[in-house]
Amino acid sequence: MRGSLFAFLGGAFITLQGVANTRISRDIGTWQAATITQLTGFIMALIILMFVRDRKWKRLNQVKPLYLTGGALGAVIIFSNVTAIQRIGVTLSISIILIAQLSLTFFIDSKGWFGLVKQKMKLPQFIGLGLMIAGVVILRF
Amino acid sequence: MILGLSLALIAGSLLSLQNIFNNKVNERAGSWATTTLVLGLGFLASLTIGLIFEGKHLFILGKMEPWYWFSGLIGVGVVVCLVQGMKLLGPTYAIAIALTSQLGFALLWDSLGWLGLDKVPFSFKQLIGVLVIVSGIFVFKLGGRSESQEPAKMT
Repeated sequence: MRGSLFAFLGGAFITLQGVANTRISRDIGTWQAATITQLTGFIMALIILMFVRDRKWKRLNQVKPLYLTGGALGAVIIFSNVTAIQRIGVTLSISIILIAQLSLTFFIDSKGWFGLVKQKMKLPQFIGLGLMIAGVVILRF
Repeated sequence: MILGLSLALIAGSLLSLQNIFNNKVNERAGSWATTTLVLGLGFLASLTIGLIFEGKHLFILGKMEPWYWFSGLIGVGVVVCLVQGMKLLGPTYAIAIALTSQLGFALLWDSLGWLGLDKVPFSFKQLIGVLVIVSGIFVFKLGGRSESQEPAKMT
């Protein structure tokens, strides 16, 4: 039960984040919004990292350099997310983002790229994606 | 319309890559080191791209309201909730619930136009659309795949 509540709140925060970024972008510009929100988030995360004294951060150097650069994608993600919300609204933007995200992850899993254990594509995942696309079509038309 | 759709597709694809990469970091270095690194690099990349496109204008912050300075904390809330949710429920169910709530709040937000966003009037058709998408998410997530490799959505 507590786990469901956390997951539910997590999802709510993700939507709130997109909406807040969109609102802030309108007043100060999109790159400004992306820069400021990630700077303040970074500072907060750094404070927490020092507070929790998790020594595991020292193992960052064991991670392949490519994987360490994922964060830089955040700039383009926030820009695209904000611009999409401005153009087509929150619901449609998030629906399409989820479809693209699940499809690509599914595809990468099935190819076993980036050292992921290769997974066979199964029927339920195709049906699931099909339903999601059908949902978007209903939303839009 | 087309621009909005294409940008949403780009955002989703990049999020997929980012989550795969972040998971690899997370496995070794823990969730707070990962979050710190991800937001730090995101900040540097935004600053760089912003400077390229806007030059000194990047530092001109029009109508900066006080709460804008704190909005970055939402991202920290996302990490706390998802990490706890996945720990207690396992990734599959936690992510399925999080995605559902994400869409539910999106619909709520469009309908109410909170924070001064353009209102997208609520209609029955939209509710049906969201419910069909949610059913797709559950079929996708719960339809017989091994738990261990589930990519967790962290940010």
